[in-house]
Amino acid sequence: MNLRVPKIIAILFLSLLLTGCWDYKEIEFLDFVMGFGVDETDDGLVLVSEMVVSTGTGQEAQLEPLVLSTMSRSFATATRALDNPAGMEAFYPHAQVFLVSEEVATSGVLPAIEYLVRGRDMRTTVPFLVTKDCTVEEVFNSKPPFLTSVSEHLANTTRLQSGLSIFYAQQIWEFVKDMIAIGLSGTLPTVQLVHKGKDMVPIVKGTAVFKLDRMVGWLDGEESQIFCLLKGLPQSGRFVMETQIEEERYAITYEFVNNATKISPKMDGDQLSMEIEVELEFDVPEIGAAGIDFHDSAIVRSMEEQLAHYFNRRVRELITRIQGEFNSDILGFGQLVRRKEPKLWRRHADDWDTHLRQLRVNTEVRTKIVLTGVRAYPLIPRR
Amino acid sequence: MFFWKKIKDRKPKGKGLDRLGTSLQTNLYWFKNDIFMDDASIIYRRFRSQPPHSRDCILIYADNMTNSDFLSQYVVRPFMNRTLPKGASGQELADYIMESVIQGDQVDCSQSFVHLSDAIARGLGVVLVEGCDYGVTVEAPGWDRRTITEPQAESVVRGPRQGFTENLGVNINLVRRIISSPNFKIKHLQVGLQTKTKVAIVYVETIASTALVDEVVKRIENIQIDAILESGYIQELIQDGPNFSLPTIGSTERPDIVAGKILEGRVAVLVDGTPFALTMPYLFVEAFQANEDYYNNWLAGTFRRVLRYISFLITTSSPALYLSLISYHPQLIPTPLVLSIAAARKNVPFPGFVEVVGMGLVFEILREGGVRLPQPIGQAISIVGAIVLGDAAVNASLVGAPMIVVVGLTAISGFVVSSIYDPAVLMRLFLVLMASVFGLHGYVIGVMAIVLQLSSMQSFGVPYLSSLISFSSQGMKDTFVRLPWWRMVLRPRYLGAKNRERLRSKSRSKSP
Repeated sequence: MNLRVPKIIAILFLSLLLTGCWDYKEIEFLDFVMGFGVDETDDGLVLVSEMVVSTGTGQEAQLEPLVLSTMSRSFATATRALDNPAGMEAFYPHAQVFLVSEEVATSGVLPAIEYLVRGRDMRTTVPFLVTKDCTVEEVFNSKPPFLTSVSEHLANTTRLQSGLSIFYAQQIWEFVKDMIAIGLSGTLPTVQLVHKGKDMVPIVKGTAVFKLDRMVGWLDGEESQIFCLLKGLPQSGRFVMETQIEEERYAITYEFVNNATKISPKMDGDQLSMEIEVELEFDVPEIGAAGIDFHDSAIVRSMEEQLAHYFNRRVRELITRIQGEFNSDILGFGQLVRRKEPKLWRRHADDWDTHLRQLRVNTEVRTKIVLTGVRAYPLIPRR
Repeated sequence: MFFWKKIKDRKPKGKGLDRLGTSLQTNLYWFKNDIFMDDASIIYRRFRSQPPHSRDCILIYADNMTNSDFLSQYVVRPFMNRTLPKGASGQELADYIMESVIQGDQVDCSQSFVHLSDAIARGLGVVLVEGCDYGVTVEAPGWDRRTITEPQAESVVRGPRQGFTENLGVNINLVRRIISSPNFKIKHLQVGLQTKTKVAIVYVETIASTALVDEVVKRIENIQIDAILESGYIQELIQDGPNFSLPTIGSTERPDIVAGKILEGRVAVLVDGTPFALTMPYLFVEAFQANEDYYNNWLAGTFRRVLRYISFLITTSSPALYLSLISYHPQLIPTPLVLSIAAARKNVPFPGFVEVVGMGLVFEILREGGVRLPQPIGQAISIVGAIVLGDAAVNASLVGAPMIVVVGLTAISGFVVSSIYDPAVLMRLFLVLMASVFGLHGYVIGVMAIVLQLSSMQSFGVPYLSSLISFSSQGMKDTFVRLPWWRMVLRPRYLGAKNRERLRSKSRSKSP
């Protein structure tokens, strides 16, 4: 036997040493973390995690959620400390959701998320939310109506973003990307607890606005809808707008079909302004008792004008809050200026916050009703 | 068979046993008391030729090996009715007997005790005549044969229902009936010092490459073994190494498969005493080709062929992948699945490796136990397998339910590629071992090692993976896909056929 075969075998086996993640873990000794989050106390941070405990085997198998928490000075030590009450190795890659409490968000989320990005067994493709008016532990201990696991419930809810249209879903990596970007600030959706009978049910609604890594304020559900539009997110949300049809006012339901938003910086001499053009297309799934015949183009045009006016007002309101109250560049004006007008940006980079406050923003909203459900004639009850 | 040695031992002593003498008594003595001593199945039929000058004759044959009716009618009777020429002896007499007395097709004569005793052992009749130092052999085969039936291991839904039998002559005829052309050639060889097994090398002269035929003949002639009981002996002795891997010589029980292969330029070897013919060269793709692919619609054939490749992947890889996922990379399993696997394995006392190897072993034992059992007992085995080992083992938490699924999937898909079932089992075990130590990395390295080994293999000078790695359109037409016949214009290039054109391009008719 010549030496060729041993050489090849040796090379094959030596190449195994070059591989990074090689780690023997028997699946039944892992404690699968479904969701985890960070609360803050005076003594340090509290890592709360929702595990699943399986009872029975085969068809009788049942998964029971179990909430464990541990206090520690850092996130990384807390993830290990959690193994002790669990009695098994906590396994994070299957986590469905990551939460931080309002207190953690206000004092800065960086200590809570650094390990997520740096840690070896963490995934950043996990929905990231902020709890509002409650702690992370309270959220994990609430009772979602269908699914036993709160994490699964929250993860599923964030997937319904475009239909609900009341929050702007973020995964950990997306938030981190926005946070470290120049001329852009991050946002996170918020989770709240509401009473449903005796139980508390977590719902996702609204947006937490960040500046650097600290939370500076909230947007409610309706403002979040406008924020999603301005972020250019495809929407299929529905809303009711009081609409003047001839002499009467009716509550008519509209549904987003298409939105195209363009934000661009514009130089007028030495004066910088931001131009926001919003193009919206709508379906009208419900007209109530308005009895509109959509063949009447005058009525349709009047509806479209009212929609344009309505959205123009809401966009302006949101921008006023962003500029004044939050002074946080969550729409990425700075990033656009940096790309389009790099010279100007270099001059203003250091005091962009002040500039943002005074920045002139022009808005233009164009609307179009493109669908009327599957029916153009109204339903009119007859005798 | 003691006489071989005795004859050989005595050979140097001179006339004694080497050649027949003129005395019938002496010759008979040697046959009776030395060569066929203690052999009750040898019949010695004494008779006399027609007077005048009537001579003592004797017919020697093995009982039940020969057709005794034929011998008495066409050998003994003509002798009794005919006068042998006076004073004739030696070659002259033998020629007279062969030409004018015996009424048989295959008649020969010999002086050698060795030849004559071999002939008797093979089932020929031998006539000895007083005063003649030649023995005349007559072929009168009369043993029982199995009828031509459909082979059980290679049954088809559509296709001829003939299978080879244990008789070489019948088998050659089955192929010849398919290829009725003078170009169909047969070379006869004899292998096995004791068994003297007849071996036929069949090929189509105008297609098969001469070098290939010569190589096959050379390799078979090289064999020096005492016995060939089945074509597997020859297969192992002449196939290209390494012997622990996939076969480089194909075997089949079906004449249509043999005909199809030799019409592509391959050579087939038929062996007396076994219905299994060998075809060579045999390449990797052939394990995934079935004769029905060519008889059914080409699209269906292609689908089944792809299915076979997928099954091969499943049967070799699924236990290794399962093992590496549950033991090394649980993050790669979808969350709901990982939770249910973890729950199913909660109370299993063994690590994943033991579970995978153990269940694999149990299945192989069940299969081996069932293969050789008669049908009614075989059912008992399947009940034991299904209920006791499957259901009860899960309920007793000896194995996890997902493991049963993996074993079942592996087994079923293994049967899809039944011709390479055993090599696939070994590959599977190798990959499981690699995966158990190094996880997915080990699995990938294992697959690479197997591919490297396969690419280094050859079968009669043809690279084992040829046509899988060549990307010519004519080369690919019969590998992963089975193109319609009107597209398979040429025979495979890698076989080096003399005449590559398989079909004239105008063969396909269409409605105007």
